Amino acid sequence: MIDLSLFLFEKICYNTGKEVINLKLEIINLSKSFSEKEVLKDIDFTFESGKIYGLIGRNGAGKTTFFNSLNEDIDIDSGFFYLEDSYGRNRLDIKDIGYVTSVASVPEFLTAREFLTFFLEINKKEIRCDYYFDLVKIAKEDQDKLLKDYSHGMKEKMQILINIISNPKVLLLDEPLTSLDIVVQEDMKKLLKGLKKDHIIIFSTHILELAMDLCDEIVILNNKKLEKVEKANLNTKKYKDKIISALKDVKNA
Amino acid sequence: MLNSLRMSLKIDYAYSLNSFIYNLRRLPIFKDLITDDLYKSKNLKKVVAFLSTGWAFFKAIFFNLLYFFSIYFLASLINKSHLSLTFIHIYFIFTIIGFFINNRLLNTSKKKYFSIVLFKMDAKEFMESSLVYNLFKYLLLHSFSFLIISFFVKVPLLVIVQLVLLAFFSRITGEALNILFYKRYSYVWLNNYYLYFSILISLLILSFLPLKNIFISSNLIFIVLLIFIIISPFSFRYLVRVKDYKLIFKKLNTKNMALSEQEALSYSRQQMVEVKKKDINISSKRLKNKKGYDLFNTIFFERHREILLRSAKKFSLFLAIIYIVLGFLVLNDANIFRGVNAFFSSNLGWFVLIMYFINRGAIVTQAMFFNCDHAMLRYNFYREPKVLLGLFKKRLKLLIKVNLLPATVMVLGNSLLLYLTLNKEVYAYLVIAFYIITLSIFFSVHYLVIYYLLQPYNSEMQLKKVSYSLVSILTYGVCYYVSTVRLNYLSFGILFIIFTLLYSAISLYLVYKFSPRTFKIN
Repeated sequence: MIDLSLFLFEKICYNTGKEVINLKLEIINLSKSFSEKEVLKDIDFTFESGKIYGLIGRNGAGKTTFFNSLNEDIDIDSGFFYLEDSYGRNRLDIKDIGYVTSVASVPEFLTAREFLTFFLEINKKEIRCDYYFDLVKIAKEDQDKLLKDYSHGMKEKMQILINIISNPKVLLLDEPLTSLDIVVQEDMKKLLKGLKKDHIIIFSTHILELAMDLCDEIVILNNKKLEKVEKANLNTKKYKDKIISALKDVKNA
Repeated sequence: MLNSLRMSLKIDYAYSLNSFIYNLRRLPIFKDLITDDLYKSKNLKKVVAFLSTGWAFFKAIFFNLLYFFSIYFLASLINKSHLSLTFIHIYFIFTIIGFFINNRLLNTSKKKYFSIVLFKMDAKEFMESSLVYNLFKYLLLHSFSFLIISFFVKVPLLVIVQLVLLAFFSRITGEALNILFYKRYSYVWLNNYYLYFSILISLLILSFLPLKNIFISSNLIFIVLLIFIIISPFSFRYLVRVKDYKLIFKKLNTKNMALSEQEALSYSRQQMVEVKKKDINISSKRLKNKKGYDLFNTIFFERHREILLRSAKKFSLFLAIIYIVLGFLVLNDANIFRGVNAFFSSNLGWFVLIMYFINRGAIVTQAMFFNCDHAMLRYNFYREPKVLLGLFKKRLKLLIKVNLLPATVMVLGNSLLLYLTLNKEVYAYLVIAFYIITLSIFFSVHYLVIYYLLQPYNSEMQLKKVSYSLVSILTYGVCYYVSTVRLNYLSFGILFIIFTLLYSAISLYLVYKFSPRTFKIN
């Protein structure tokens, strides 16, 4: 059922018939500190489409700061972001980013249907609310409720849904999925996997199993830097140990 | 009980101390001078503790004296020839008002949230200790203030004792009554505005009786005191016997409330982030032919109708009462007649200060953030310059409309006073009316512009930007300065209208140029 929905969904949103566009998100020399505390230091990294990146870091390592920097939510000390697509390499525009925050942000004074309709209308997309509600499994009786009365997980569904329909080139997800029920979690995973070929998806999480299951690359944020953890030929257990030991490696920089 | 009082004072103290250091660090010069280490430095903390305790002490005495001197001032306005009797009369009525509205136990506060919800203190002990603490604080402060005020107005010692005791005992009964009401109807009665205002207004009218040389008799004071003395032990027993303080406090003191920093009235904050039940269903007529952002904005307004209009309505009512009372005074007192007459001819600047307090711009922009932008700014489509500016225009119209309500009352009130003071110049009516409307529009533009240019809140809905606070203080300073300017109404009115046009043009230009960059979550 969901695969069919997925197929239709992609048809509507992404014109999958077109050739796949390779995207590159380049981060150059990103630094950010809060008063005397340096959080990100001279980060150089390139993310590409076709992969889901799992961003892992310890509490307070700066994952959200990293996302906020990309999304221009905070002023950075230094750094540039470039997005390369078939038209060339340009400065990253916030229009190209979809950001699913860890605390779901939805306009609570609207009903789910009003929010979705409003969103589809301003983005000039076909208004097919029922179809989208089906996709994230929001039941009929909840569709006309105020979002204020939604549970945390349901708000999260709405936030992810809106961000996916808006079809940004770069999708940042800050610890999502954790408050979704298992069925929707599985659907979302499939959805993200379906999206990865022409999107850059960076997914931050504390749940290592989830990252290893869903992501193609694990990137850790440690000692103020981003660092790829190569899997090479390691089995799951050894790969996991490698990630944990990398996270434990704190340098007093 | 003593232990829990000590603990709650300690929490209070730690909280105010750390917020003091935190706020100090946000100031430009101190930012670099003070490091995080200050939070753990014991000696420096002692100094800051001394300062902050001194400040709290000073504040308590200051506000109490302010209360007494306001009564004194009011008494001298209402009936100068019987100052002492009028003072006693107003103090008595105000104590009765306090009996209804001064409910400390159900008042929400950060301290309650921290002590009971976070630190899991025994709610009942907390209640008992803070009740006793507040009662004695109250007793001391009022005795002290009576001592000071007795240099200005002669009140017989016996009456002072009676009045202080009345204040003391009525407090206990008042708290009990409030809790009883809450337990019975599951809401704090202060939140029922109709009930609240009808009691408040009828009592306020009673406090003006000395105008007609009617005063509260000492016998009546004695009888009322006696009644309270008799009821108080029962009230106290009731207060001590209520078992579910924990539940009550938890329900009232939620996390959102505790996060508020700038809210002076702690109830209003909670209500700000709420859609009122009666506003959920919007008549389809209002939404007809609306699409996209237009529809979005209309739904926002309709669902928050109550929140957005409530305080404008409150102020309009308040203004209407003041104008009626003033009208009444003008007709009865030759001095006030002359005063009002002179006021309109050269003191128009005062309206700037009055409008500063009455304009709802700050509250409405706050509601916009809490209920809408806080979530929507997370979506990048909402941050596109075209969208931001389109919505800005719609909101400006909305804000101007909301503020026109109290402004219209002011226009009508001023015209009434002008008429009663026998002003026959048609120009005066027109210029002053036009000036008040311009003033209202000026503040609407001002608040929305600084909201868009400085967007001061963070994702936790705390006011984060010092620049916003500085601009607010500056606004107040300028308004205060303007209020002291003495110019005839024609020059003043015209100058102000020109100023508003210029200010609006410049600030709208700034919004168009900079807000796409500045309007985001901090």
